[in-house]
Amino acid sequence: MSERKDIVKREERVPEQSIPVLAPAVDIYENDDEILLHADMPGVEKDDIKVNIDNGKLELSGVRRLVTNGAVNWEEFGDVEFSRSFSVPQAIDVNKVNAQLRDGVLYLHLPKSDNAKPRQIAIQAA
Amino acid sequence: MWTRINDFDRMFSAMDLLHSRLGRYFEDYDRLHGRGRALSGGELPLTNFYDTGDHFELQVELPGLSKEDLAIKIQGNYLEISGTRKAEVPEGYEVHRGERGEISFNRSFTLPSDVEAEKVEAKLRNGLLTMTLPKAEAAKPRRIEVG
Repeated sequence: MSERKDIVKREERVPEQSIPVLAPAVDIYENDDEILLHADMPGVEKDDIKVNIDNGKLELSGVRRLVTNGAVNWEEFGDVEFSRSFSVPQAIDVNKVNAQLRDGVLYLHLPKSDNAKPRQIAIQAA
Repeated sequence: MWTRINDFDRMFSAMDLLHSRLGRYFEDYDRLHGRGRALSGGELPLTNFYDTGDHFELQVELPGLSKEDLAIKIQGNYLEISGTRKAEVPEGYEVHRGERGEISFNRSFTLPSDVEAEKVEAKLRNGLLTMTLPKAEAAKPRRIEVG
């Protein structure tokens, strides 16, 4: 019977009425100097977006709250949290990260820190 | 005998537990890859449609499109929205992930009634197109005074 209690306990922990979570579609590009990340977040206000970089992990989160009025004829999308996390193996210079929100797309510039950039080693003649 | 029933019971409860846990994983999976997530080639943008009495309101999810990328046509009760978004691969970068891709769509609607095409407003903000479509005079609700 102890297993049954386990089920009940787990149910109780599920938060009620939370908004659905979706993974936003992303493009990721990289060159020697930086990593670019573009994420679709239609309808999210700038202030509702959080970008968190910690210990090689990049977390994006944006909450969309729609303002609507009138009777619903149809609704194909609603309030949602766009959330996704990535591991960033290269060291990122956190102080130089730049984020822009344009037309519902989040554009992130993640510059690599100097010691993560590829380096040309000069060979000296003996 | 009773101990054996108890064994069965325990086995089933373990299966229930497994089932509910698996169910939760599938839910997460659906969320990650689920419906309504992205609009990629060939798919139509998602829309919401509301009726406030005096006018209709249409919302369209259009991430990454600027107003120059959109074309809207209205005639009577027919509304057509088309648009394109080009894939914007920056030069000299290696592509690690390309999920957003190009968008090209053409979606048309038959509105529940005629609208006044000259007074239609369209706003594009944060990748969300909001259109306000005032109903034609004849289609507006009217209060009838009882004589």
